[in-house]
Amino acid sequence: MLKTFVTSFKLQNTYRTNSIIYSIKQLPLIKRILPNRLYSSKGLKTFAGIISILWEIISIFIGKIIYIAAMIFGVMSWYKTNQADTFIHLFTFLTLAGGVLNTYMLNPTKDKYYAIILMNINAREYGLSNYYYQLLKLIIGFLPFTILFGWMLGVPLWVQILLPFYILVTKLIVMNYILYKFKKNKKAISENLPTKFVWSFVGACLLLAYGLPFLGIVINSTIFLFVSIIAILLGIYSLIKIHNFKEYRKMYKQILTESNVYMQEKANGTQAMKDNSLKQIELDAKYTSNKTGFAYFHDLFAKRHKKILTEAAKKQSAVILVIITAMIIGITINDSFKTKTNEFLLIYLPYFVFIMYLINRSSSVTQAMFMNCDHSMLTYRIYRTPKVILGIFKERLKTLITINLMPAVLIGGGLALLLYLSGGTDNPINYVILFISIIAMSIFFSVHYLVMYYLLQPYNVSTEMKSSTYKVVQWLTYIVSWYMIQIKMPTFGFGITTIVFCIAYSLISLFLAYKYAPKTFKLRI
Amino acid sequence: MKLVVKNLKKNFENKVVLKDINFEFEKGKIYGLLGRNGAGKTTFFNCLNEDIEIDAGEFFIEDNGKQRKMEAEDIGYVLSTPNVPEFLTAREFLKFFIDINKKRIKNKKTIDEYFEFMKIEKEDRDRLLKDYSHGMKNKMQMLVNIIANPNVLLLDEPLTSFDVVVAEEMKQMLREIKKDHIIIFSTHIMELALDLCDEIVILNKGILEEIDKNNLDNDHLKNKIIDALKEEN
Repeated sequence: MLKTFVTSFKLQNTYRTNSIIYSIKQLPLIKRILPNRLYSSKGLKTFAGIISILWEIISIFIGKIIYIAAMIFGVMSWYKTNQADTFIHLFTFLTLAGGVLNTYMLNPTKDKYYAIILMNINAREYGLSNYYYQLLKLIIGFLPFTILFGWMLGVPLWVQILLPFYILVTKLIVMNYILYKFKKNKKAISENLPTKFVWSFVGACLLLAYGLPFLGIVINSTIFLFVSIIAILLGIYSLIKIHNFKEYRKMYKQILTESNVYMQEKANGTQAMKDNSLKQIELDAKYTSNKTGFAYFHDLFAKRHKKILTEAAKKQSAVILVIITAMIIGITINDSFKTKTNEFLLIYLPYFVFIMYLINRSSSVTQAMFMNCDHSMLTYRIYRTPKVILGIFKERLKTLITINLMPAVLIGGGLALLLYLSGGTDNPINYVILFISIIAMSIFFSVHYLVMYYLLQPYNVSTEMKSSTYKVVQWLTYIVSWYMIQIKMPTFGFGITTIVFCIAYSLISLFLAYKYAPKTFKLRI
Repeated sequence: MKLVVKNLKKNFENKVVLKDINFEFEKGKIYGLLGRNGAGKTTFFNCLNEDIEIDAGEFFIEDNGKQRKMEAEDIGYVLSTPNVPEFLTAREFLKFFIDINKKRIKNKKTIDEYFEFMKIEKEDRDRLLKDYSHGMKNKMQMLVNIIANPNVLLLDEPLTSFDVVVAEEMKQMLREIKKDHIIIFSTHIMELALDLCDEIVILNKGILEEIDKNNLDNDHLKNKIIDALKEEN
């Protein structure tokens, strides 16, 4: 097994090293200077290899510290309960959610696909050795931070040390349960496509984790000790079962399908979950259209992809309605909440840039457009004539804006209404500005993603993302939106600026799209 | 009408793929493009289809002595792996294609007539393309390219995924339409090239050359082609 592990580690490292060289080569300007020979250049290979190993080491820690800092430490101030106990409480329940969402073993990664499916490496040895390695990384990665954050909050030392092991055994128990189910019904599910049951379980865990402390209920270290002991006993039992499980090959054959693996590749991080709906595209022939030409083509696309287009927006709208209603009730029954809301609405408009960024569906919609449509259509030369490209672009723009406007109108209208109900404002134009700036943001993100897609078309024919520039733009969009959270600015000034910016940006980028898309919108070869 | 290629060059960094392509493809003929694996057949097609930039040279259409740029409408490219929009039915896909090519289509037929022409069965016409087999998708791809009526038709290994019956039908169909088109047909199968194509063109070491068929029986011609393909420059 050790030999298999060493082979797989080398394989992963080679893949990562080549990916690093490839990404460097994809950067604008640089790509012109660097030759293909790079892949055989020893010096650069060593350099990329070192970066790859450094990244491996850093990645052991980085995710963990962000997780504890953001999900646990960062919310401590919400609660009045004992800090050490709250820490243990949140950790206990979030670990359960994490246990079912991230099993390591069932994650359809490319390296698994290459090794098990393409290179025929022993699936059990590959799966297990990598699984153990992941678990080892988990302990090493968590321990320093459970000790650090635990110490800061006065958590007993033995709990600080026990926590990573608690995570470990939770993962083992979940894994064993999945294997047990697989033995019974022979069905394995990629962990990037969680079932409804998994989502409900995760939802319940989150509710128990973040909800109970509000009611003053938290788990203390004694209960945690009790839970841990049971979990450890079950964990040891699970480990033996996992180790002796024989059907890894069969299981991996089901999980490591091309669509699963490539979906993983395209969707980054949280999007993997958000976009599992991509798989559930409704290819139902019963939807038809009476339009012609581009409008016909696009209309059918939109109708048959309702799930990821309109239905997602409808769900968002429902959630927004619930939140706004809850806020209205809050305002009517609680005076301090009312004043706070009023204050909030008049200085926290920048915050909504980030919210509008989060709820905008354009990024995943353009992904679906590529995978289920342009991927095949771009091979037809006639589809790439300016008339067709721009014709379909226009239809898509209309749809994207409309879809995203649905929740945006609710948010904009809701905010204006809340402002009114929470005591109003001296300057009535604020109502209009709140509403219009939210709409402007929504249109901005729709235009932004679609234009970027047309100008940078980042995918190749096997639907792999091949443009570093596109990734950089995605990151910049995120960073700028996130940065807005920190800004407090009067709604009036910020609103006007936003509206002007959004209009200007949209006009300029549409102009660029019309001018350049016929040249840039093609498959990457 | 002719497709004229002059001094076309394409390198991938230091690797010379197309060294110096000079050729005139004429209307009314099917050209069999033969070449060894990696010889650059697909690259040549990709260049003509403007999927990739060429490094030097030019290609254009020559019609009644007048030269003009090859436009998107002039070219149809059938790839070896079929690419069809899976969310449409065969009928919808055809409708869309006919809509956007309306002005160019001569002797427009009804959608069902096109299906008949391509021998696509009634019960398959309203099925989603995602449920089509590889060969059926290929048929559709071929059909839309023929409907669009491009002057130049590039076919990259198009018959390999068809069963023997369909392959025969397709050959027959290509013979029927060749009088209005310039058809360039890449393949690895020599028998197919000899059977179907009017001219045999060999891509070797980045150069395109025609094999003179004159007065050679099939066996001699085969040997000549193999010798040409083996030739080291």
